[in-house]
Amino acid sequence: MDVPHGMPHCFVMESPNGRDRNERPLLSVVDDDESVRESLPDLLRELGFAARVFSSAEEFLSSDCVDETRCLILDIAMPGMSGLELYQELKRRGQEIPVVFITGQRDESLRARVVKQGAAGFLLKPFSDVDLLAAIKRALQGT
Amino acid sequence: MNAQVEDPHQNVKLLQRCINDLVSLLALPAVWSGNEPSQVLQILLDALLRMLNLDFACARLTDPVDGGLLEILRVSDSCKLRITPQDISRTLNRWFGVGGQKPLPAIRHRFGNEDISIVPVPLGVHGESGMIAVGCGRLDFPGQTDSLLLTVAANQASIGVQEARLLAEQKGIAHELDRRVGERTAELAAANEELRKEIVERKLAEERLRHEETELKRSEAHKAAILDSSPDCVVAIDHAGRITEFNPAAEQTFGHRRSSVLGRPLVDVIIPPSLREKHRAGFARYLATGDSRVLGQRLEMTALCSDGREIPVEIAITRIPQDGPPAFTGHLRDITERKRSEDALHVAHAQVARSEERWRSVFENSAVGVALTDLNGRFIATNLVYQRMLGYSGEELQQLTSHDITHEENVEDNRALIGELLAGKCRQFQIEKQYRRNDGQPVWVRNNVSIVPGTDRVPRFLMAISEDITQRKLSEAALAKARSELANVARITSLGVLTAAIAHEVNQPLSGIITNASTCLRMLSADPPNVDGALETVRRTIRDGDRASDVITRLRTLYSKKELSPEWMDLNEAAREVTALCLSELQRGGVLLRYQLTDDLPPLVADRIQLQQVILNLLRNAADAMSTIDDRSRELLIRTQPDGVNQVQLSVKDSGVGLTSQAAENIFEAFYTTKTDGMGIGLAISRSIIEAHQGRLWATPNDGPGCTFSFVIPCKPQGSADAA
Repeated sequence: MDVPHGMPHCFVMESPNGRDRNERPLLSVVDDDESVRESLPDLLRELGFAARVFSSAEEFLSSDCVDETRCLILDIAMPGMSGLELYQELKRRGQEIPVVFITGQRDESLRARVVKQGAAGFLLKPFSDVDLLAAIKRALQGT
Repeated sequence: MNAQVEDPHQNVKLLQRCINDLVSLLALPAVWSGNEPSQVLQILLDALLRMLNLDFACARLTDPVDGGLLEILRVSDSCKLRITPQDISRTLNRWFGVGGQKPLPAIRHRFGNEDISIVPVPLGVHGESGMIAVGCGRLDFPGQTDSLLLTVAANQASIGVQEARLLAEQKGIAHELDRRVGERTAELAAANEELRKEIVERKLAEERLRHEETELKRSEAHKAAILDSSPDCVVAIDHAGRITEFNPAAEQTFGHRRSSVLGRPLVDVIIPPSLREKHRAGFARYLATGDSRVLGQRLEMTALCSDGREIPVEIAITRIPQDGPPAFTGHLRDITERKRSEDALHVAHAQVARSEERWRSVFENSAVGVALTDLNGRFIATNLVYQRMLGYSGEELQQLTSHDITHEENVEDNRALIGELLAGKCRQFQIEKQYRRNDGQPVWVRNNVSIVPGTDRVPRFLMAISEDITQRKLSEAALAKARSELANVARITSLGVLTAAIAHEVNQPLSGIITNASTCLRMLSADPPNVDGALETVRRTIRDGDRASDVITRLRTLYSKKELSPEWMDLNEAAREVTALCLSELQRGGVLLRYQLTDDLPPLVADRIQLQQVILNLLRNAADAMSTIDDRSRELLIRTQPDGVNQVQLSVKDSGVGLTSQAAENIFEAFYTTKTDGMGIGLAISRSIIEAHQGRLWATPNDGPGCTFSFVIPCKPQGSADAA
């Protein structure tokens, strides 16, 4: 990786205006599962991104990261507001953040529905780092 | 593997490939879901062949039902040219048989002039489902990654095969039950139709009788009316037979004006032509001899009306006591109506006689049994059906009372009801009871008993219409059996759902493991390596591994446990697990789920899996009840709270279509359902589970829309040993 180690956990906190051209893009992870929240941020940082994690859609919406998030990695099945509902809510607010959905549910019709609604990616858990990076890259290029 | 340690980059690549292969293996269930076990295995073997670069891969599966052996062998293209499938099969037979309970060692076998390593992997927790055997000519086979992939593949295969079998079994049982329930339903419907026909026949017979009675009454009334109101005609004649008087009644009766008949011969006016000669002769004889056959008599004869009608009349002729030539007065009465009425009466009498005959015929030929008894129950008369039903002759029955042949259990009830009947508290009663036949066999009957009022000559007596409902009772019992079988299907079905959901749960920690491993590789291959970061990822990996193994343990419990047993458990945790399992299902239904779990809930001794089945059922029910709601939010609240010191309560509140208080009781009965696609079996089972835990399950309508299902169970059932 060409990115030095020891990057701050949320780069945005240090460069809130986003004027730094070398800044790492901020990815937000929303998942109620602890394993994912523990493991995914480190991998995302290894892949060259800044990462924040949230355990629910509501927590994400009330955070200060919504505007800065360049790509959302979003679990579908969560208690309270689901991933799909969060996606709709963001659209309603006019905040078109590209979304890569992740789910443990093997449902091909769900994939079709999600992609049809304009999701940038749909990954079945568990997924490989290669697939994840490809999906994120597609998401970021799309914006 | 050892040779590769020297080249870290190569090693990292291999590990990366291993991770990718793992991901592919874990994604396989999406490909084979819904397939037969053999297809599941084929897909898996092909994947292994490709990933591990194998020469061949073989699965040997024992059928749990008939013990038959299913062998699926996949051979790589290059291997096909060198070794025949028969060779492989023979070799596997020789070394491994069909697999077994104890783990088998890997072997190296010479095929022609090449050596191939064959590795057996058991299927199922203890190899009870069979085995997978793979062969590979590679010298380093099986390496660590090969073994890991094989183990994971075998786990996937056994879960996949179990699911496929469960699916097939469910289909089979559901089909069989459908058929049986269909049969029973048809039988019941036929019995019902038969009954309906009988009832219609009986009604018809009753109606005929009623009709006859009213006819009779009407004719009697008629007759009375005629007798009361019939006016007399008065006609007088002189000695020459000429009319001298013709009263208004006569005018009306005969249709002649008084003025037009006065002075005319009577014989021309009201005597029919055929009788005129006879009349003239009689009149002349009287005048000549004074001999009369008619004077002073009430006679019936025929008279003629102006319109040519001949009518029957009653006539009384008197000689007017006067001097001079004789004159006569005739009092005539038109008896047309009386005649008709008498005829009618005659007919009516005949009808009554016939209707009595009919009654007798109804009694004797009725399709239901009829018995007449005196007030003490002694048989007076019984019909053939009744006699056949009980296996006694009519004479034998006359020696018995109805109490003698009634099953002991029903005697008291029967006596009490007859007591009420005799006391005039009711006009009739119905009872379903058992008779004992002459041959000792029980017969179920439905009796309709009424009291027949007495007359001067006949004392009052009891009449029982007795219908044999043994067949119906048997059908009901058979239906009850079918219900319990259906309950079993429901259990299997929800078990299947639970299993699939738990298998899905494994993917969460697996996802963490894969991500951590990828991160670890990246950290270690950086320059300089980030060892601290890598160590952290390894720690997280171990945690995830523990989580996954917890889920697997639960899965295994589900599969292996036959007799479910109570253990110390936390109701909150159990509820959270179940809601996690059906979360995505709820979300697809647009349901907003909220928790209100009391933190310091006391632990309880209960069967965790059974309780989770109940909770799952309640959640599903709630979701179903809200599926048609569009004008308000679909909210589901799951709440736990202590109930007193020694009980805990869980309730599931929805905002669905709600319940009437009537339905609130009925819903717990098997087969009661308001859903068009439901079997209505879940709640009955749930209630029996809760009651087995000495608790209570009930439903109440909400103040607002929807309803709430709650159960309360004791923390520790009476008479139970500590499970902890």
